[in-house]
This record gives sequence, structure tokens and C-alpha cells, in this order.
Amino acid sequence: MSNETNQGQAPTSQAELLYQAGLRQERQFRTNVSISWGIFFLILVFLFSGQSLQLGSFTFNAISLDTEFMLKNFTFIAGGLGQTLMISVFSISFAIILALLAALGRLSKFPPIYALSTFYVSLIRGTPLYLQIFFFFLALPQLGIILSGLVSGVLALGLNYGAYMSETFRAGLSSVGKGQREAAMALGMTPTQMMRRIVLPQALRFAIPPMGNDFISMTKDSALVSATGFVHELMWRATKVGRASFNSLEALIMAAMFYWVLTLILTYFQGKLEARLAKGDR
Amino acid sequence: MHHPIVKVSNLDKYFGRLHVLKNVSLEVPEKQVVCLIGRSGSGKSTLLRCVNFLEDPSHGTIEVDGVVVPAEVKGKEKNQLIHDVRLKTGMVFQEFNLFPHMTVLENVIEGPVTVKGMDKNQAIALAEQNLDSVGLLFKKDEYPSRLSGGQKQRVAIARALTMEPRVMLFDEPTSALDPELIGEVLNVMKKVALEGMTMIVVTHEMGFAREVADRVVVMAEGELIEDTSPEELFANPKDPRTKALIDRYRTSE
Repeated sequence: MSNETNQGQAPTSQAELLYQAGLRQERQFRTNVSISWGIFFLILVFLFSGQSLQLGSFTFNAISLDTEFMLKNFTFIAGGLGQTLMISVFSISFAIILALLAALGRLSKFPPIYALSTFYVSLIRGTPLYLQIFFFFLALPQLGIILSGLVSGVLALGLNYGAYMSETFRAGLSSVGKGQREAAMALGMTPTQMMRRIVLPQALRFAIPPMGNDFISMTKDSALVSATGFVHELMWRATKVGRASFNSLEALIMAAMFYWVLTLILTYFQGKLEARLAKGDR
Repeated sequence: MHHPIVKVSNLDKYFGRLHVLKNVSLEVPEKQVVCLIGRSGSGKSTLLRCVNFLEDPSHGTIEVDGVVVPAEVKGKEKNQLIHDVRLKTGMVFQEFNLFPHMTVLENVIEGPVTVKGMDKNQAIALAEQNLDSVGLLFKKDEYPSRLSGGQKQRVAIARALTMEPRVMLFDEPTSALDPELIGEVLNVMKKVALEGMTMIVVTHEMGFAREVADRVVVMAEGELIEDTSPEELFANPKDPRTKALIDRYRTSE
């Protein structure tokens, strides 16, 4: 394009040439990465294609999948996507509230509140998520508290992610400089007004990209909830139909693809969101 | 001129073991423009920041337009008094401290609407008037990140003025600016002074002190070492430390 616009004009400057060479290099790199991705994907597809490849005297037989099973159970497994997303959305909402409270608690000058916040974060981060899910589902009934698999899962995921996300929020809160607080105070704002009008809006904006990452992780960690046996999300459906007809290979591959595609889609939107926030006007 | 707008009495301030303000007293009558000068570390910014309690005085009393706050008062009563003082003072910072998530206009109406509960339309009218007076009405819908340093500081001045304070506090308002942007900010400050605002200005701008101030107070090592008119200060500096300041200004001129 630049060649056309430059035709018949003065020779392009050295800086311009270097700049364009840099751009070309970058474009080329990205193209090559995409091509390589395609090749890796084709290799992966080939590995499970059931074809055989003759290399001299050596024959490579790819794994053959039961496509009939896959077609038959496609809609059943795909039906778990909704549940997976639903668990993730409920859990992340719960986690955001907890994380915000924990992060604010960490700012408190009142020792019990500060301690409660650090205690919660320490306890939750010090124990496995898997254990936490089972604690709600299996341990609480012993105390007469019976929760459904879904509620247990959402509570455990929310508590767990809340503890981790509180660190994100804390970083967001401390990203708002001292000068901002001083300006708010000088205007006569109360601590609550300052938090609500000045600090939180900026801290949340800072925290949105990492929160997106957390949500994406959560869609996959939600698979753990299947272990309760009562939530019919992707993983549960895949293991159920896979075990029933000894087709776990096919079933799990399908579930993996669903998770992967879901992640790719969410990552795409995450990228868009980040680009918008990065503009810095707002 | 009967009653001072700002009255600082026997103020002491410690930062840990460091004694940064030593029994400082200062009275500023209405409509006076006072420049606080001195080398960095002399305590001039700390003194200014004590006036609206961004720094908490260790001993002594601050009085702003009749609101008396002794350092000894504590708790809810103190918070109320500090709030009253802050409503009477406008502050302009070295680093501007505009709110980056708000437009210029939103920055300026934030105080009146949130703190004073002013009707939004009334606040907008007042804000637009003040933005116009600092020459930035045409930028009202921009975000601060799109403004130059000088423009940011002028918006910060408009933001403080829109709270309709009794006294404006300036904490080295031009120190973070590129040299070519200093003039536009000083001009706005001059205009504010001419409109009769009481001002306390911590500054290194000797030219501004000379031209606009009614009075110059020199600080060194946490004490007021000189308190005089600009003419007298430049013609006849008494303390050797003041002489050093003036000489440095002369050679840089």
C-alpha cells in the first residue's frame, strides 16, 4: 500500500523504511504463528482420525474414535454448557461480593474486621477447592445442613475464588494513589463518599481484566462440582455417558473441546474489554 | 480585615521523631495573598497541609473563618470540625489530582453535588462559569488524560473554586509543570487573587510572589524566619537564609 502512495514522490526516508520493515516482521511472525497453530491442530485431529500413515516400513495407526457414539451424545453433553455457565456466573457473582468485602476488611483499622478478612483468605487458600466442595456437600449434612450439589458447588467456588480475588481487589484499591484520596478529602468528602465516588470506581476498573481471567478459570474449575454427582454440567454429562458405554475417551475429548471453545470465546471478549479499558479515556 | 480568615496558633508537627513545624503561628486576613517560600524540607507544605488537616497537627490550634480546631480535640467532634474547615478551604495540589474516571465537568461538580448536596443543574452552571474563567469551558467533556499539565491544573483550580471556599490553598501548583506551561497557571492564580480571594500559596515562583503576593512568609527548619511585604523582602532580606533564596532567584532570572 505504501508503495502505491509513494510512487512518483521523493524517496522514502530511512526511518520510514525501518518502521515498515519492523511492521512487516511483526506481521510475518503473527502469520507464522497462526499457520503453526493450524498445523498443530491438524496433527491433533489426525491423531484421533483412525487413519493410518505409511512411513517406509513403519505404519502409524492413529487412534480411532467411535464417531457414532459422539454424534449420538453430542447434544446430551453440549446440554451441560448451560449448567457450566450458570454455575460460573452464580459463583463469580458471589465471589466478587466476598472479595470486595475481604479487600475492604483488609483496609479496616478495627482489628477484628482486619483479622476476619485475613483469616478467611488464609483458611480458604490453605485448603483444596475439591475439599471445600465436598465439605459443603458431604460434611455439612452430618450437622443437619443439607445442601444440593449445585448450592454446595456455588458456595464453595464462590468462597474459594472470593479469597483469591480479594488480592486482586486489594491491588486495585492500592492502585488508587494517595493524591486521589487527598483531593477527595480536601473537597470535604466523608470516607464513605470517597470510597464510593473516587476509590472504588478506579479500583474496579483496575480489577476488571484479572476478574475476567478468574471467570475464565472458573468455567473450568466448575467441572469439580460434577463430583457431587448431582449437577448436570459438562463434566458430569461426559463422565456419565462415557462410563455407561465404555466410551470415556470420546466423551472426555468432546467435553475438552467444549471447554476449550468456551474459553476461546470468553478470551476473545476479555481481549475486547481490555482493549476498551486500555484506551484510558474513561 | 477585622477577623483573620486563617489563624494558625502555636502549631507543632512531628513526623515520627522529626520535628517539622516548631511553634508556628500565622494569621491571614481576608483577601490577602500570602506566599510561603523556603527551601524544600523547610516545612512550608506541611504548614499548608495542616490548615485543612491533610496533616494532623501534633499541638496547637487551627482556625478557619471562625471554626476553631485545637489539636487536642478527638473523635467525632474533631471529624465534624475538620469537615467544616474543609468546606471553607479549597486546595490545589502539585500533582493536580484530578479524578481520571470523570470528565472535566464531572470533576468540577463532584464536590458541590456529593459533598454539599447542591442541585446538579445549579452545580453545572457554577462549574461552567468557573471553567470559563480559567479558560477551559471548551474542554468540559474531555477526560483529564487528554489535557496538558497546565490545563489539568487550571481545571483543578476551577474544581476548588466551585466549592466556593473562603480561602484557597496552593501547594506548589507549578512545580510539576513543564516550564512553558507555568505561565498560564500563574495567570489564572493572579486572576483569582484579583477577584479578592484569600490565598496561601506555597511556591518556588519568586516572580509570582513578587508580583502578586501582599505578603511573603519565609520558612526554614520548621520556623517562620521572615514575614514581610514582597518589596521589603526583595530589597532588604534580613535573615541570611532569606538572602540566599533571593540571590539564587536573582541569578536564575
